[in-house]
Amino acid sequence: MSDKFKKKLSRRRFVALTGSAVAMGGLLAACGDPTATTAPAATTAAPATTAAATTAAATTAAQATTAAATTAAATTAAGATTAAGATTAAAAPAGNFVLSKSGYKGSLVYWVLGYAPGATSGFNKSTDAAVANFMKTNPDIKVEVIGYTADQAGFAKVANAVQAGSGVDVFRIPNDSLPTLIKDGLVAPIDEYLTAEDKADILPNLFDLVRFDNKLYAWPLWVPPVAMYLNLDVFKEKGVEPPKSGFTYEEFVDIAKKLTFKRANGEQVYGYSALIDPGLVDTWPIIFSDGGRPLSADNTKYTFNSPEGITGLKKLTDLALVHKVTPPDFGTQKLDDILTAMKGKLQAMWTRPSGDSSVLKTAGLNFDIIQPPIGKTGKPVSAGGVGLIAVPPSKDKAKQQAGMDLARYLTSPQIEKDVPGYYLAPGARKSVTVVDPYSKFAPIAPTAWITPSLAAWPDIRTLIHPNLQNAVFGKLSAEEALGKPADEVNKLLAKK
Amino acid sequence: MARAELKEARAQNFGVGQRLARFIRKYGWSYAFVLPSMFVFTIFTLIPVLWAFLISFQDFRLRRESTWVGFQNYIDAFTSQNGIFAEAIKNTVYYTVITVTVNIFVALIIASLIQPLNKYAQTFFRAAYYLPAVTSAVIIAVIWRWMFNTQWGFLNYLLSLIGAPPVRWLSDPDIALNSVILSTVLTVPATGIVLFSAAMGSIPKDYYEAAELEGAGPIRKWWSITLPLIKATSLYVVVLYTIASFEVFEKVYVMVPSGVGNSTQTIVTQIYQKVFNPSLSQFGVASAQAIILFLIIASISVVQFRFFRTDVEY
Repeated sequence: MSDKFKKKLSRRRFVALTGSAVAMGGLLAACGDPTATTAPAATTAAPATTAAATTAAATTAAQATTAAATTAAATTAAGATTAAGATTAAAAPAGNFVLSKSGYKGSLVYWVLGYAPGATSGFNKSTDAAVANFMKTNPDIKVEVIGYTADQAGFAKVANAVQAGSGVDVFRIPNDSLPTLIKDGLVAPIDEYLTAEDKADILPNLFDLVRFDNKLYAWPLWVPPVAMYLNLDVFKEKGVEPPKSGFTYEEFVDIAKKLTFKRANGEQVYGYSALIDPGLVDTWPIIFSDGGRPLSADNTKYTFNSPEGITGLKKLTDLALVHKVTPPDFGTQKLDDILTAMKGKLQAMWTRPSGDSSVLKTAGLNFDIIQPPIGKTGKPVSAGGVGLIAVPPSKDKAKQQAGMDLARYLTSPQIEKDVPGYYLAPGARKSVTVVDPYSKFAPIAPTAWITPSLAAWPDIRTLIHPNLQNAVFGKLSAEEALGKPADEVNKLLAKK
Repeated sequence: MARAELKEARAQNFGVGQRLARFIRKYGWSYAFVLPSMFVFTIFTLIPVLWAFLISFQDFRLRRESTWVGFQNYIDAFTSQNGIFAEAIKNTVYYTVITVTVNIFVALIIASLIQPLNKYAQTFFRAAYYLPAVTSAVIIAVIWRWMFNTQWGFLNYLLSLIGAPPVRWLSDPDIALNSVILSTVLTVPATGIVLFSAAMGSIPKDYYEAAELEGAGPIRKWWSITLPLIKATSLYVVVLYTIASFEVFEKVYVMVPSGVGNSTQTIVTQIYQKVFNPSLSQFGVASAQAIILFLIIASISVVQFRFFRTDVEY
């Protein structure tokens, strides 16, 4: 037998053995008892889960999700309606919100949506000022701020960090990303830290979005609805009268067409653009304008493919495909692209929640904010989520209390007094008064469809997203785009 | 060698203990030297890979009990999101075939052009061409993203100079993946150039002299001497580039973070989206997709080894 042959034979045998081992391993793993075999990770995670002191263990997850389904829908307009009144009511609860009585000495890590280290935006400054104020009053507590982006990737980042179980002591989270974390026992209930005054001050319907299994899990901060930003200098340049809230889709298209033009220096200006991302609902007010909604009122059925939803999506796609008032990259633009266009006066209108108004204000842009255009329903409609601040459960109860104290302070009326301009949207408390331009969002908030507090929602919006994009690109009709995800979304809803 | 020693010892009827002691005496230090790297490899590569394999059969939860689900994650990998994973595999294969072919070809050509130069020029060009390899892939992707911008990008500016209409490089689903490919093939294949250049430099000059005496021209010498004698390096470079192409992620993620419909989905962007999803429920499916990626790469590598294997030595 030659050496060459031996070599070949042994290699073949090696491949065969390796293949058999992999196949056997797969079979063994697959044939495991599917009922209750605990995985290695689950074994190590068990103490952490119990440490949550029965917060939201897996056993209660089913009920929790059902609770969300039934309450979230009812909260949509109702919760926001009350939010609108937030700017007018002013009976602030007494007490010192900034002082922590936890006795905790050490550091807290606070994850903030939209915060960019080193950036000079108004939001960064107000967050830094708020945290500095808390540390000044509580010198034993050091707060480190970590930022994450307001998109699908950012929400996933914070969710994974919380799930990892360390390095997050307080975190900002939109309401639709909260149920998953509660289901996994990663959020501490706030009930024992809420005072009677807090309960009376926070808009009661917002509590419905954070109530699971009769416990409240996060501090409502604000309700940022999507509004229409008007780049007034572009209007002035073309001599177009800026519209007022209540303008129709047809008027919107007409204006957008007038404001899509080329300047003498070759600069192309577009009438409208907005972000399309799985984590955002910036373009959804236009899709909703004829009455379509993604889910039924009780959140048990996918309804985006209704005739109203289809005509609504067609209105959005027509802006790009028929009226040609959007930039060529509409559908794939990043936030920086649109901010650059707005600041450079290369875009006239933009649908976006309230947060970025601070960026435009800091940039000195001459802009106004109005309700998104009205469709066949004849009623104004917006979309948005509720901004929350949550605290993960901790074995160190003093630390958990310190986290709760920071969260309470950051959602209190006192913070707006300590750091004027802190609130970037209508507040979740009746006593909070917000300043211009955020006050302009207050009348829009009551019309907002609020993203449902459903554990399956992040998966549902991920399923819907590429189809919306393909409709905007002209690769799918509105009917196809909204019909495609139907079966899978319904399966996800049935699973809950 | 070590195996031969053990065989010899067995033949001499030594006991197991004696054979082992003899083996350790003779080769113990060698194994001691490789032990640290084996330890690091085990902790940071082998165990995570095996763990991912286990997770691929579970409904995995980091903070609560996971359950075994058999092959369900493998089924879900292909059936969820309207079968997007199959589309991602197709896109990845398309990306790999084009980028690997073009990169290998470009690397071979550039290395061949460098070869006849003097020592100093060779060193200069090797260093110059290697520069992109030490530049962050994210930075390169960000620059390409700006170059591809439809409104104010450099490429559309060039097109405008010849009166051509602007191209929606990263927002047309029919073009976006090709734009990502273009950005890859227009980035110099640094590793390939350096490796091919080194391989070509080690081919004995006698072969070329003999071929010249027989009247062979430069192309004939390249085809009949250079290419066959760098086959072993070619195998390495092809396998390396194939693996890298199958794992394409950062370019797509930076250039089109929200996707372009599903036209720019690749296997790794799919895995990323499953893992880094706020629903925190798809670690199992993501692991199954990672195992499928491993199997695809392993299968292709085996075929490449078969095809490029060579016994030629010089």
